[in-house]
Order: sequence, then C-alpha cells, then structure tokens
Amino acid sequence: MALKEELAGIVSSENVFDDPETLDAYSRDFSFVKPVKPRVVVKPGSADEVQALVRWANQTATPLVPVSSGPPRFHGDTVPGVPGAVIVDLSGMKKVMRIDRRNRVAMVEPGVTYSELQPELAREGLRLTTPLLPRASKSVVASLLEREPTLIPRQLWASLDPLRCNEIIWGDGHKLVTGDAGNWSSFEEAWERKQAPAGATGPGQADFYRFVSAAQGSMGIVTWASVKCEILPALHKLFFVPAQRPDDLLDFTYQLLKFRFADELLLLNNASLAAILGNGADHIKALMKELPPWVVLVGIAGRSILPEERVAYQEKDIADIAGKFGQQLVSEIPGAGSDEVLKAILNPSREPYWKLDLKGGYQDILFLTTLNRTPEFIKTMNSVAEASGYPASDIGVYIQPLHQGANVHCEFILPFDRDNPEEATRMQQLLTIASEELIEQGAFFSRPYGIWADLAYGRDAQTTMVLKKLKGIFDPNNVMNPGKLCF
Amino acid sequence: MALSREAYRELEGIVGKENISDDPALLDCYRYPLSHTAIHIGPYYRVYTPRGAAVLLPGSAEEVQGIVKLCNKYRVKFKPSSTFWSAWGFPLEDDTIQLDMRRMDRILEIDDKNNFAVVEPHVIGATLQAEAMKVGLNTHIHGPGASCSCLASATALGGLGPDTLYMGHHNENLLGVEWVMPDGEVLRVGSVGSGLGWFCCDGPGPSLKGLVRGMIGTNGAMGVFTKCAIKLYPWPGPAPLPVEGKPPAYKAVLPDNFRVYTLGFPAWKAWADSCYLIFDAGIGYVAHRQFSMFGRDLKGAMVRILSDPTKTLSDIEELLKDPEVQKMTEDMKRDYQIVLAGMTPGDIEWQDKALDKILEETGGWKVKAMLEPDLYNWSLLYMIRLGHKNLNLVYGGGYDGCFGLGGTPDFGASGEPPRVEQATAFKVEWEKKGNVVACGGDAMMGGIGGMGGGGHALWENFTHFDPADKASTEGTFEFFNATDKYGMEKGFGPGMEKMNDYARWTDGKTTPKEIRDRILGAAAQPEAFRYQRKFKETFNPNDLGDGYYRTLDDPIE
Amino acid sequence: MALEDYKVDMERCSQCSYCKWIPFDQVKSWRFAKGCPSIAYNNFLSYSARGRYAVALSLLNGQSTYSDRVVDIVYKCTTCGSCDVSDKICRYNLEPLEMIHELKFRLVEDGQVLPQLTAVIEHLGKENNMMMKSGANRGDWAEGLDVKRIPGESAEVLFYAGCRFSYDEELQETARSAVTLLKNAGVDIGIMGVDESCCGGRAYDMGYKEEFTRLAENTIKAWTAAGVKTVVTPCADCFRAFSRLYPPLGAKFEILHTVQYFDRLIKEGKIKFSKTIPMRVTYHDPCHLGRQGEPYVPWEGKEKKVKNQIVVYEPRRPRYNGAWGVYDPPRDVLKSIPGLELVEMERIREYAWCCGAGGGVKEAYPDFSSWTATERIEEAKSTGAEAIVSACPWCERNFIDAINAAGEKLKVFDVTDLVKQAI
Repeated sequence: MALKEELAGIVSSENVFDDPETLDAYSRDFSFVKPVKPRVVVKPGSADEVQALVRWANQTATPLVPVSSGPPRFHGDTVPGVPGAVIVDLSGMKKVMRIDRRNRVAMVEPGVTYSELQPELAREGLRLTTPLLPRASKSVVASLLEREPTLIPRQLWASLDPLRCNEIIWGDGHKLVTGDAGNWSSFEEAWERKQAPAGATGPGQADFYRFVSAAQGSMGIVTWASVKCEILPALHKLFFVPAQRPDDLLDFTYQLLKFRFADELLLLNNASLAAILGNGADHIKALMKELPPWVVLVGIAGRSILPEERVAYQEKDIADIAGKFGQQLVSEIPGAGSDEVLKAILNPSREPYWKLDLKGGYQDILFLTTLNRTPEFIKTMNSVAEASGYPASDIGVYIQPLHQGANVHCEFILPFDRDNPEEATRMQQLLTIASEELIEQGAFFSRPYGIWADLAYGRDAQTTMVLKKLKGIFDPNNVMNPGKLCF
Repeated sequence: MALSREAYRELEGIVGKENISDDPALLDCYRYPLSHTAIHIGPYYRVYTPRGAAVLLPGSAEEVQGIVKLCNKYRVKFKPSSTFWSAWGFPLEDDTIQLDMRRMDRILEIDDKNNFAVVEPHVIGATLQAEAMKVGLNTHIHGPGASCSCLASATALGGLGPDTLYMGHHNENLLGVEWVMPDGEVLRVGSVGSGLGWFCCDGPGPSLKGLVRGMIGTNGAMGVFTKCAIKLYPWPGPAPLPVEGKPPAYKAVLPDNFRVYTLGFPAWKAWADSCYLIFDAGIGYVAHRQFSMFGRDLKGAMVRILSDPTKTLSDIEELLKDPEVQKMTEDMKRDYQIVLAGMTPGDIEWQDKALDKILEETGGWKVKAMLEPDLYNWSLLYMIRLGHKNLNLVYGGGYDGCFGLGGTPDFGASGEPPRVEQATAFKVEWEKKGNVVACGGDAMMGGIGGMGGGGHALWENFTHFDPADKASTEGTFEFFNATDKYGMEKGFGPGMEKMNDYARWTDGKTTPKEIRDRILGAAAQPEAFRYQRKFKETFNPNDLGDGYYRTLDDPIE
Repeated sequence: MALEDYKVDMERCSQCSYCKWIPFDQVKSWRFAKGCPSIAYNNFLSYSARGRYAVALSLLNGQSTYSDRVVDIVYKCTTCGSCDVSDKICRYNLEPLEMIHELKFRLVEDGQVLPQLTAVIEHLGKENNMMMKSGANRGDWAEGLDVKRIPGESAEVLFYAGCRFSYDEELQETARSAVTLLKNAGVDIGIMGVDESCCGGRAYDMGYKEEFTRLAENTIKAWTAAGVKTVVTPCADCFRAFSRLYPPLGAKFEILHTVQYFDRLIKEGKIKFSKTIPMRVTYHDPCHLGRQGEPYVPWEGKEKKVKNQIVVYEPRRPRYNGAWGVYDPPRDVLKSIPGLELVEMERIREYAWCCGAGGGVKEAYPDFSSWTATERIEEAKSTGAEAIVSACPWCERNFIDAINAAGEKLKVFDVTDLVKQAI
C-alpha cells in the first residue's frame, strides 16, 4: 500500500498532505537548522489516531515529527532531523475539553492556541498566564511542554507550571495519562467525585510528564494536557521601574521575588520593549532611542477578593521597595505608558511576530541562569556581538524570573535580515561563538535547540547516557523526531 | 546469604572500621516494629522488618558510590535511610546492606539571593529551618515533621506538609540532585550536572527529575541520593524563633505580621468553599487541619493538655467534662489552622481582611478559645516549626492513617452525606469495639494545600492504637481491612492504610509476587509500573533495590 | 521496676528520633541542635534511647546475646537525660532514662561489666568514694576551716561536699568558699568531713544499683542519727541523688543545692556584693541540677487505659520532663553580681548539652567524655563568653580537662567562685 493510503487509513485522506508547498513549509523554519523535506504531513484529529500513527511508524520504521503550533517556527525542533519523516501536525486537535472554574484547571488538546483559549477561559472568570507575546498560532500545550517561560513567577511553584496532567502517546505507541488524572479509572467517575486534573506528578514513582518536557517531540506526543489557570483580574495595573543598567534592578527584583509580590514580573531592555510596542522598523528604532535602557515590568492584579485593596497595598509597598533600592515605580516611562504595555503583554503578538518586525528575521539565544549572573552574560553577549560586527544596541534582552525566582530565563533577541545571505552567515557565526562563550561562562541551555544540543550534552556525559537509555525505553525504534537533542 | 567476610572487609575498607557493624543486637536497632505505625501497612503485632547483613555509615558520596559498586560486585541488596521514620526506610529482605546516612549531615550552602539550600541526607527540617531563618528564609517542612530528612522528603518519599500551600510540595522544591544510581554511576540532575550550580532540576532537554521521583519517591529502592538542592521561602520573622515556656508547652511570641487562627465552619461545603477562596486569594503561610489528628471529640481537651506543662493525659477525662472545652471542641469540629505571614504591614493587613471576607462569605469563624494568648502562641510555634509532629503517637504509641481521600477539597467535603462524614461514621462504629482510641471518628488530618498554591487537600483519618497490646494492634488491622473494603465499595479509591501492601507483607518481608501483581495490576494505569520495571532493568540491572519500587513484569499493553 | 517492666515502652517507642535532638522548638542552629552525646559521637542508631530500647528488646526476646558491642552501647551513655526531655515532647507514656538505667543494672547483674568501672566500684566499696582515693582523707579538704563537725557538733544545715569537691585539689577551694559564704551569711552549718561518704548517685548511673543502695542507706542512717534536717550540697550529682533517688528509700530531708541557698540569701540581703566582676560568662546547666533536678513526687500506681487505648496512670503519675528543674537560681545569682554579664548558650536549661562526665563515661570512655565536653566548650565560646560557669564539680573538672587538652583559654568557674570574688 502506498504511504499516503496507509496514512489515510488512519487519519482519513483529507488529513494527509504531500503537495510540494506543504512539504516545503514543514521542511524549514526561521532557524539555521538544515532544511529536510518530510515525505508527508498528516493532521490527526484524536488521540486514537495519534496512537495509531505512532504504532504504524514503529511497524514501518518511519520517523515522526510532531508539530502543534502554526508557523512561523523558530528553533528547528519541528524541522525533520532525517529524511523520510512524517509530520504529525496536531493543530487540528482544538478541543477545549473542560474548564473547571472552582479548581482553576482547563483541559486542552494540543492544537488549542493562546488566542483561542483565553476568551473561553475569560467567560469562566479565568485566564492562563502566557509566554511573552506568543505568536497567535502558538499552541498552549507545545509552549508549556517546551518549558517556555511565562510571566508570573510567583505562581510557578513547580518548574513546569502551569502544565499539570498530560495524556502521552509514547514513541512505543503506548498511552499513559500523567498526574492526578492518571489515577482515575474514568473521567465521569472523577467528575462525579468532584476531582480535578490539578496535580501534575505521577502516576507512580516517576514524573512521566517531565520526560516529554523540552523533548522536542522526541519521546512521544501529548494529546491533551491540563493547565492551572489564574483568576481573571478584576483590576490589573502595570508599572515600570526604569534604570540605566540591569545591575541597578536586581536587588529590587530579588526583593519582589522573595516577598512574592507583583504578578507579572520581567526585565526588558529598550530593544525588546521597543519591539513589543513598535509597529514597523522605523517605529521600533525610534522607540529604542526613547525608552529607558532597562526596565522592570511590574504587574499587579486584584482578583476575586478585595481587588482594589490588594492592588493599593502592593502598589504602595512595591514603590517603597523600589525606593529602598534607589529606584522608582512609575506608570509612565518615555516612550511607553502602562496601559499600552499591559495590553501588549497580556495578549498574543500582533503580526508580524514582534521579534521579526525590526529586520524580518531574528536569532535568539536563550538559557537559564540566576538573576544575579545576568549582567555578566549581557556583557559577554554584547562584547561578542560587537566583535562580530553586530550592533549590541540592536540586541533585545528579556529576563524572566521563573520558579518563584529560583532561576531566570535569559534571552537575547538578535534581529537580522534573513534575506541578506551575508548577514545571515554572520549571524550564524555569531550564534556559534556567542553560544560557546555563554555556555563556557555558565549559561544553562536547558532547552537545547539546534547547535546548543551538542554544547549542552558535551558538558554532561552522565545525563546524556541516561537520557539515551530513557529514550530507548519510550521510543525503542527511535521513530520520534530522530536527530534532535542527544538522540 | 549472609555477607561474606571478604565483602565485609572490602566494605570496611571504604567506610572505616568504626563505621560498619554486623553485631546482631546493633542490627536489631535497624529493624522496624511493624506492630507500630509503619506508614501504611499492618499493623502486624510483634513483627519486625528483616535483619540486615551489616549497617554502614558512609561519610561521602564517594564512599556511597564505593559501597554501591561493591554491592553490585557481590550482588548484595542495599537500602539507604536518612532519618528512619517509618518502615519505608527498612529492608524487605534478610541480609540487606543498610546505609545509615547520618554522617552526611551538612548544609552545604544556603543561597539567600536565589533562595535555595544544598543539603546532605541527614539534614532535618528543624536544622535547615533554623539556619534559613538566620538569613530571612524558611524551608518547607513536610508532614512527618521537623525531625525528618529534607533530602529524603524531596527525593525519595512524599513531600507535602502543612506549609505546602505557601512553601510548595518538596517535589516542586527540588532544584537539583546528586544521585548514586543503583549501578554505582553518579548522576547529577539538572543544572548541577553541567557544573553550573543548583538552580534548575530540569534539563538539558527532557527532565531526568522525572526519573528521580514522581508523586512519591522510590523509597530507597533505586540507589542513594547524596545531595540535593531545595528551594527556600521568605521568613519575615525573627531568628532564632523566640521560644519561651516550659516543656512540652513551648510557645513563641512573634511580631504582629504573623497571625494564627483555628477556623471553624458550619458545614463541610462551607469548609471547602473557604479552601477555594483561600487558594484564589493567595493568602496563608501555613494551612493545615492539624489538631484534628487527636480526634473530633478529643482535640479541645488535647490542645489544653499539650499547651499546659502541668497537665498529662490523665487530665483528659476531667477536661472533657469542662463546658468551655466542650464548646471549643464543638467550634473546632470542621476546622483547620492557618498561619498568615505578612511581608509588610500592608500585606498582613490585607491578608487578614481577605480572610475575614472569606469567613463572612462562608459563615466561618475564628475559634475564640484558640485566640487566648497561651494557645495562640503555642499553636503558632507548633505550625511553624512542626516540632511536635509525633503527637500522633501520643495516646498509646501507635497510629496510622486510613482512608486518605486525596484530591480536591470538594472530594472529601462532598457526597451525601459528605465523604468525610461517611468515613467518620464508619470509624465511630469500629471505635465501639474498643481496639482503637474512641476519638469521635474524625481524626482527619490534612492539608488544605497539598500542592503549592493550593488545589489539593488530604483527608488522612488517624487511627490510634497501642502497639504493645495484641488485641489493639490486631483490632486495628481488622479495622483497616474493613476500611479498605468500605472505601473501595464507596468509591473513595484505595485506602492509604494499605498503601504499602504491594511491597511488604505480613511477615515483614517482600509481598508475595502474585499478591503484589494483583495489587499493582489493579491500579488505574498499571502501565506506569511496567515502565518502572523497564527503568529498573535499565538502571538497576542487578536488582539491588527492593520491592518498594513498583514494578510489574508483564508487558505493556 | 525491672527491665522487663519496660518492655511495653520498648514496643511503644515509635522510632521518631526525637531522642537524638534537643526539642525541635528550641533548635536555633544546625551546629548546636543535637541533644544526645552518645549518638552524636557514635552515630549508629543503637547509641540513642531508641536504639537502647531496641537492644534491650532484642536481648529480652533472645534475638541477640551479649557482645562487646552490646556492652559498649549500654555503657557509652552519660545518662544525661536529654533523650528523656525530648521524647516527652510528644510522648506521655515513655520513660527512656529509667529504661536505660534498668538496662545498665541488668548488665551489671549479669556480669557484663567494664573493667574501668569495676575498678571504680571496687574501690568505692572499700573507700566510699568515686575518686580512687583513701577514705581516710575525705575530710582533708576542710582542714583548717572554721566550721562545725557533724555528728560531733550539731548544726541546722549539713554541708555535703561530695567526692569530687572532697578530693579534687584544684576544686576544693570552691567547697571551702561555699562553706565560708554560707557561714558568714548566718547559716548554722556543719560538715561531716571524714564521716561523709559517697552519695552513690554516680554508681547508680553506671549501673551499680546495689552499691548505690548500700551507700544511700548508710548516708540516710548517718544523717538520721545526726539529726540532720537540711542538706546543702555544691555538687549537682549529689543533689540529684539526694533529692530524687533517696526519697524512695525513705529519706525525708530538705535538699538544697548551694546555688539555691545563695539565691535565697542574696534575695534576703544576707549576701551582699561589694566588688565588680567585669566579665562575660555563660552558664552550663548540669544535667543533675537541671532536667534531672526536678523534685521527687511519690507515686505508686498502675497503667490504665481511657477512651479505649489512651495510656494513662492511676493515680495521676508525676511527669519528669525537665520542666521544673533548678534553672533560675544559678542565673539569678550570676545576674546579681555587679559587672557580670550572663550570656546564654543555645542549648540551655532542660535541653542543655551534657558535659560528658556522667554515667561512668568519664571513667570508661575518656575520649568520648572529652569530646562531649569539647562540644560544650565550643558552644560556650560561640557566645563570646570568657568563662563557662557551672554548679557541679564533675562538669567543671571535665571542662577544665578538655580545655587544657585543647590549649583553650576559656575559664571555668563554679557559681560559688564568682560569688566569693564579688564579696
């Protein structure tokens, strides 16, 4: 039987695509990862279909590359690592399966985007904390599985929050439900007992969902996940603490993290805030000049209980804390007002995606570290960029405290013109040099896309060995996105 | 097979003569009486866990690695334990090498900027908390209390406790692990594996933290955890704790940014409503249904006894006749304790107001008697230090938790009548038989926050008995059998009282395979245990752990 | 009571580990959180109260027999009672210290003894002192002291020096000072000199109950014959023996430690200070004056259960958990001395760390004893104090020895010494 027909038998023929345009679209992304054309793209509509696909892949030794978010994609993780792959595009699995206001959890399929989920949550008085301006096509499940940072560190008790329960089809074709829901015999019984898919751990003595996190689809496919939501704020304000140097903002930020004050809490430099607010290259460039070099964004939300009072006391106390560290909490900064920024960071990105707007392309470098170490990484990034002829002033910096401040996501956004081969080549070289220097300096590439995989695993042989063994358990025939990470 | 002299000498060469023993009487100190609380099996009257082949006191990860490699060489099972609380830390088979991790007791680092501590296995909640408080930080102290190992809780066992609402579950708090794997290789999980410090336990790529532990840990059956990093939390109070009073009724007078209340509610629905409102408001530093462990009918009297150094258990009957104690007990019927800690004056003021609003909305109240200065300051210290945890043993020396309705606050509080009342009524009938303490049926202890930020509750119904009394012990066992059956019939799910039946059986040793397979096979997803079998085959090739690691041998379906 | 009577305790002990630490509420640091010197030094679980319960049960059940290790486990305990205080935070029906004593008694009965202790006890039998010295020289410490001699003379108060103060030449001056201070404050005081014999308390803690009983009965007889009503002693070991161990044998004397008497006299204005002592000191609570210094309460009764399985006692049983030991009098005395600054260590009062001299440990396990004392010295130093002050010659001797061995500069005083200096 021809490949397409075999797959049509699983997902029906209208969900199988092998036209050149489609294949080409999935063969590359905005990264420097080498393009590889898939054989077919399939769009399953259910977990059963996904499971059947994985089983089929095992029987036929066909590589599968799961994709949930729509384009543009950036990190090479959904670009096939080997020829002959079948893309499993989950973007059609769009069911919001359940929203439980009382327990503040929602269950969603992988095709559900932030743009689609937030309005539904809002109707129930909830919202989901998001990454920083995700693109409109960004899958909630994929984002959380890839451990993308979200904006409210005080709510991140667990490192993978707000991701909770997951249904996973492993690379061996078996299904496992993780977290609380993994202990239930049926959803109906669970709902009757007023249970909720709120707890992420287990079942048993392993946290299975962690194996699919930052796995780039190499372990299995998640067919639904539950997420922990927040109460939709009744009152929500945003403030700025501007500064000339990032160092000046660290003690203030640490204090807020320690007190678990503020909701949204992140550090941006002028280039990244300009990219968020600007509309077109000229506007962004103008804003870069106008905005203060560094700023902490401080969101304060009042929710269901005494919202005004909460916002009032936090505003006062946070202002006092800022003052204690020689800084000021303000509602306006040159070039930006709080309402405008709040609206921006609470919503998906406008088009084009904010990181692309300045030059049409970008390369990011992202890793984890601790807040106190971020200035030295910024210094290194800037000096490497300048040495490579890239203007440091164009580098967007985004520092997102995570896990209640235990670590921070540090991201450098380097816009460049992808259509200019010379610029692209220089950027590729800069990426390599900067990544090597940063990892040498102590950057933890916890989500090692592209060239970072070798760099990261090269520093940790035992982890690499254990991961390979684990991969052998869950995906013994190496059908899940082969060629990524250390696999 | 007993340990050969050759193996003994080699082990002695690793840890030194003074840190190894195979004296029979000494080995008997490393056996756990299963007539006692054994979390959660039995009780089996006068049954003990098997005697080990030798006990070793390793002093470093290198020594642990050496021991584990030798165990692989000689194919001898080994079992580590840090603070030996409950039967989990004791072998299932004769002639196991027991590792007492007591000598590895250092707090290696407290990072007061990034809020974490790096600890060795024998660091306990009380010592870590005391050191953390010196730099304005605090640590989650898990349910078994301040006496227990922080590392064991974070890596190898459970990890939730009264302060989980604010300070997280220890699973959530684990930022890095050094793990001597069962084959003797050392894995450092997370950022520390790359030599970059202890700030993240996930990555690079798929998180191997998932292999370290799940909802619970591997109970010492999969290697030895020799270091770990734990996330710390703010402590807006003095250091050291300003403790005063005579033993055991110690009290602490803390500054005005602390509050402790015992909240009572008119109905279980209101009780659950208040939990959800507290989760939504994001208030509370410690929140737990703590003193209910003494029983619905006795807790008022017990609180009076425990907070007064002149009183003993002999006062209980007299106190129960006291109308004020009766009123207090009734006020506390559907209760929990909550500590509020304000980081600033505005913070505590808002939290207090928010709590009042929640009480207004739910019809709840602050139990007045618990606001008397002596009780207030006693309960505040109790909740923060959790240094009296083993009062669960105060009556006769034995306790175990049964039912264990885990999940949302609504789970226990709903049903007709509410499940908590069903469980209470069932236990009251068994209390009439005389073998367990008659405390009013509901000795359900549990958190209103079983996970960081709330969302989970636990309803562990404490059952108190006398482990030195055959009838009491055996009667308790019968009760647990009945409880298990009742819970399954009622759809409560598997009872906590039988939680470890899959591992250890009535003789104190490994559960027979057919029974074990039946128990594990009845789980909602036995596949999890089939995957765990694969983990064991892969990472513990010589099977040197024990049956506490849950595995099923049949293929994954 | 016999060891078998504690079998229920052995079976009710829940292995909670509280016995190893000071009460958790009182933990102020990692460094000074441990309570039991025995397990802190020896590490195996068997060297804790829990471990000794388990060893005893193993022996009683015939699961193991005596071995060098068992002997080591049993005797390597200072019987300081730290475990007893901490256990009773959560348990109202366990008596670990009593059980440990019974275990020692049993080993002695069964001939499982240590040669070092045997030598001491054999000497005690002949010379009535714990110091391996001649009984004939017991009164030498008071030579030339202008004080009544009982029984030849009568006095309202008997000053009982104890073995250590009687024979330890470096410490004898303290006893002489105490007598002089009391006398000068108007106390009608006398001593027994060569007619004084060992209180037996240390023999009791070593496991030699018979020897203790012999000595106690002799002393009670001698005091009764001399018409003694009140006894004051500068030794915490003796204080505890007289106040806690003698009453069950029929003794009915008022027992005071010198610090209690000084405290009373200072508050009555009968001792007045004229000198300033500009010194920062810290006070070490002797186990036998503090947690084991609680007044004896007669009790005879039995266990009963209420509410099905709550173990209580009929009649109400006294609860010795260190709550009512002698803690404030020595502190009040020190605080009343002009210029003296009292700073506290982390482990004080009922949860004080032991000096390491008790239970026969100093005699049989000098290294362990010295280590225990050194731990206390370290704790004292951490307060910034120039001196450690105590109210027991055994503690003071052990501290002096440990300080000398380590070349430390910390001074050691008895409360009496400072009272004397300030007058």
